[in-house]
Amino acid sequence: MANPVTNWIAFLRKYGPIAQNDNMYDEHLRKSSKRLGIRPIEFAHPAEEEVLSLFKEDAPQLASVILTGTAGDGKSHLCGKVWKQIGGDATEWNSDDIYYRKSAILSGKPVSIHIIRDLTALPETDDRGRYFQKRDVLELFCTSLLDPSPSDIFLIAANDGQLVESWQRLGDKEVFLKTRTLFESLLVEDLQEKPGVSLRFFNLSRVNSSILLDLSLEALLSHEGWEECYRRGAGEFEFFGSRCPIRHNYELLNTPLVKSRLRALFELCEYNDLHIPIRRVLLLLANAILGHPEAKDRLMRAGDIPAIIKNGTTYKASLFNNIFGGNLSDTRRESLEVFQNLNKLRIGQETSNRIDNILIFGHADEILRPYFDRYLAADHFYGADENYHAAQREYLEGSDEGNANSQAFLDLLIGQRRGLFFKVPEDQEQEMTLWELTVFRYAGEYLSRVIAMLKAGGKVERAIMSRLVRGLNRVFVGMLISSDREVILAKGLSYTDARVCPLLEERISVIPRLGEKVEVIMPSEKPVLRISLSNSLVCDLPLNLTRYEFLSRVAEGALPSSFSKECYEDMLAYKSQVLRALSKRPQEDKPDMTFRLLNIDEHGHPAEEIIEVSND
Amino acid sequence: MIDPSIIIDPPRPSDHPDNLLWVDEQIWGHRLWDSQSSWLVFLEFLNLAEACLREEKLLEEGGCYYPLSFKPYKRMHLRNILFNNEKLSEVALRVPDNESAWAEWLEWMADNAKGATGGFSYLKTRFPSFHEFSALIGMLKSSAVESDTNRRWSSRFVFPFGPHGLYEDLNITPSGSVSREYINFGLTGELLYKMLSRSEKKEQVRPYLARMLSGENPWDKLLLRLQPDFSNDLATRGNSFLPYRAHASFDRLGEDWLSVCELQLPGFDSFPFLVTLSAFHVVLYQLTLGSQWNEEEQKPFFVCEVLAPKKTLIRELAGTSYQRNNLLTLQTVENYIRRIEQSQEWQSATQQPGSFELCRQLLIDQVRWPKDPEDYDGCNDPQTLLWELRRVAKNRHQQHAGNVHRNYGRDIGLISKRGTNKLRYAPNDSLLKALVLANVRTRMEYNEFLSRLYNRYGLIFGDRQAEVVLEKGEFDKKAFQANSVRLEQRLGSLGMLRRLSDACAYVQNPFSTRS
Repeated sequence: MANPVTNWIAFLRKYGPIAQNDNMYDEHLRKSSKRLGIRPIEFAHPAEEEVLSLFKEDAPQLASVILTGTAGDGKSHLCGKVWKQIGGDATEWNSDDIYYRKSAILSGKPVSIHIIRDLTALPETDDRGRYFQKRDVLELFCTSLLDPSPSDIFLIAANDGQLVESWQRLGDKEVFLKTRTLFESLLVEDLQEKPGVSLRFFNLSRVNSSILLDLSLEALLSHEGWEECYRRGAGEFEFFGSRCPIRHNYELLNTPLVKSRLRALFELCEYNDLHIPIRRVLLLLANAILGHPEAKDRLMRAGDIPAIIKNGTTYKASLFNNIFGGNLSDTRRESLEVFQNLNKLRIGQETSNRIDNILIFGHADEILRPYFDRYLAADHFYGADENYHAAQREYLEGSDEGNANSQAFLDLLIGQRRGLFFKVPEDQEQEMTLWELTVFRYAGEYLSRVIAMLKAGGKVERAIMSRLVRGLNRVFVGMLISSDREVILAKGLSYTDARVCPLLEERISVIPRLGEKVEVIMPSEKPVLRISLSNSLVCDLPLNLTRYEFLSRVAEGALPSSFSKECYEDMLAYKSQVLRALSKRPQEDKPDMTFRLLNIDEHGHPAEEIIEVSND
Repeated sequence: MIDPSIIIDPPRPSDHPDNLLWVDEQIWGHRLWDSQSSWLVFLEFLNLAEACLREEKLLEEGGCYYPLSFKPYKRMHLRNILFNNEKLSEVALRVPDNESAWAEWLEWMADNAKGATGGFSYLKTRFPSFHEFSALIGMLKSSAVESDTNRRWSSRFVFPFGPHGLYEDLNITPSGSVSREYINFGLTGELLYKMLSRSEKKEQVRPYLARMLSGENPWDKLLLRLQPDFSNDLATRGNSFLPYRAHASFDRLGEDWLSVCELQLPGFDSFPFLVTLSAFHVVLYQLTLGSQWNEEEQKPFFVCEVLAPKKTLIRELAGTSYQRNNLLTLQTVENYIRRIEQSQEWQSATQQPGSFELCRQLLIDQVRWPKDPEDYDGCNDPQTLLWELRRVAKNRHQQHAGNVHRNYGRDIGLISKRGTNKLRYAPNDSLLKALVLANVRTRMEYNEFLSRLYNRYGLIFGDRQAEVVLEKGEFDKKAFQANSVRLEQRLGSLGMLRRLSDACAYVQNPFSTRS
């Protein structure tokens, strides 16, 4: 039954985590779009405007451009737009050729523009005789980069791994080595350009994932396919009727609260240096709306709905669970980076007493009943339905034999916790201990009191600074020190990174004093903890979400090596960096053998014992 | 086969009167000692280095490869104060008054200190406060190297802050007589020093080593203050022997030393890495030489498991790889004997009248056995004599030199039983860290890193390297790829890996001097 509505759903499924999607993604989508007569979900990539501005007659400067990123970020598509802008022929572009060349005027100068739409697919020799060998083109590219006023401009699209590998294979000629080091530096340090080089680097998958989410959501939710679905009109037990989970999921996704929580999740990933490319964002959204563990490929089709409603398995299509890939098989979920990233937050597995009390006992407890009603009973789709209550009874009162039954309830709890994350409104966040639903208990604070504060030009409040400094001190010293007004740089006798450090090297004041200070600032997109030893000596520690959580937990009593070993190692490396910088600071002359021993009293306050040994 | 021009002639037999058989020694040197931990190797090395620096001949043998005589310190006073001194903390706790505390302690030391002539009263003038003195000694003791082992007090070593903390291993009897034994400082440290002196990078390493031995820090100065001004009684040592003028494994050792030193880590932070890497290079030296003498085409390799939660194919292969290498040196010894048997001289000696006596003399010339009548009391037949030699040589090898691979490997974290009940190659975090510091200057693409680990050391983690050395039947691409992914995660948890995308990851050195 080929009608626009079923076609729309069928097309939407193609964006989801079905097996065929791993390779030839664009191909499939293009073909499906044509076949089904549906417009693809698309939007202008945030980098598009900037890239296009470099290929205008009045471009501010002459620079070659490299577009990198993972597959599906729209590199090839963007190249096509540039080609069109410089007056290239559209039919020529559709020929699927890899190398294009045209003369044009950029930045007021006539130049030759070369476009390579896929670096690894560049043929070794050119059948139109425009270049002799692949190496020659790339060599020309490298030389043009180092030329302050080049007459050849390049636009090259390549995945980052391929870029590095291709240059490795070019060999050891000086110009190749130089550009290779340049690329590595740009890639690893996440930069766009370097002085003295006519190059702009655009990593399309490095655009802030939450911006991509916004654009994707907008493009998806406003697609005309949905209008069609509404227009059709449907009965209660039919597709897109009042009991249809697909419709419910779509409407939920359109609510401000769900959007804002989803955005927060993406932001947290972003601040944890986890990137989610466009293709994967669309995959997540398609899966969120259509996911159901018993459907074919785990994604519902329009025709599945009547049966699902009749069998009472609507609750399994929970949007909240689907967002985390809960509808997928373990292997499938683990193979997709986007779900791995979101699941690092462990929403569903983490909880607090308050939350679980509401979920498990709320229906029977006088005080908790209102919460239970509001969040679970009121949700007729994914809240506490008959199925839930039955499993709950079994769990609470059931026999000891057969773990399977109580396991069923525990699985349901995971779904409910995830639901809570998207249902608790902002004004109830504190009371409902919302962020304890994630492994980053301090995430809410991080977003609102650190990031938002810094973005608005303010300073991070004193209480938070104190906590961070206390955590840092506990790692640096290795003892339960409670000092938060200064950073204590301590070392072990033999090693600076010993677990316990009884020797005091220096105390750095948090409040600005004689050039010293400790602060959290945001010089670029991400927050940074900065220890200033003097006006010119500073040491920065990028303060991503994990490190923030780590320091906060250590400040509250956790052992440094328990939450994250990687963080612990990072802190020790940072300490080493600070100690090295300290040695560059002009020292006052001290007698040769002065030993500053660090002792901690029972309240955690540091006391210094100085032993001086004379030399005569 | 080994280039004969790099082989050095063995020393006179009279230099090593207690030596029963000279086979291991000619192949690898006198000597590779299995019961010497990596830290003890390092300390022995530092002692020799310091003595050479004193003679202004640091890392400079001056073309004379044997003997290298030197005069290490004994520092009897220091050792007694630090390690033969239960009374100190007890007196500090019990006696609040300074004068009485000093009096009581000095009296106890007069009775109980061993081998230290001249008394300890100089300490009282230099450290007016007994309690401060006690606190400082407590700190120095806590820095002791390998403090958790159960060695005798005269074999305990303070952390090598500088030259004033270096002293050789000694046996000190209750009556106070002092002798050098070779159970802790087994001479491998001396071999390490000679290897470094014969490496290509020795000129560049020299200034860093000199700085390590300069003692420009408060702790070394403190150690000096703890010792009397009157001279040490220095004895001359130096009968270790390294049979090669030059070798690629010496150069490799030098390169790694230089890489770590150039990072200029603060304080003594570079020491643990140098300790680990040095011991690793000793193992590589032994296996490489063994393999070259065996005339094997394939250099020694190590299939390494990155610890997995359950048993994988890699674990099995890592175990087999370990077993193979563990038997390698024994094979070298056997081949050495076999070469004697097949040699021109032996063959012609067996044909002549009085063959047994000729053969016996031949063996004494070549391997210094059987010198004493009790060394061999079997039939007067060359064949039986040779069989006995083979038996004695293998036995002797398996008592000491043959255990170096296993013992040092376990010590540096290359070999372990963790998660299973058999030994196999499973590098631990500190070894991985040392390898990154020695090989990655700032950053290196991950696959390039794996490739480098194989080319320089023979370490195999990933499929590309495994494919080259393993038999088709043993090789499983997926298993090795999974192993490689686990290594990436491991390096990530050490803060040494930056993943860019699915296809691209970089190993980073967190201590690189370039910011």
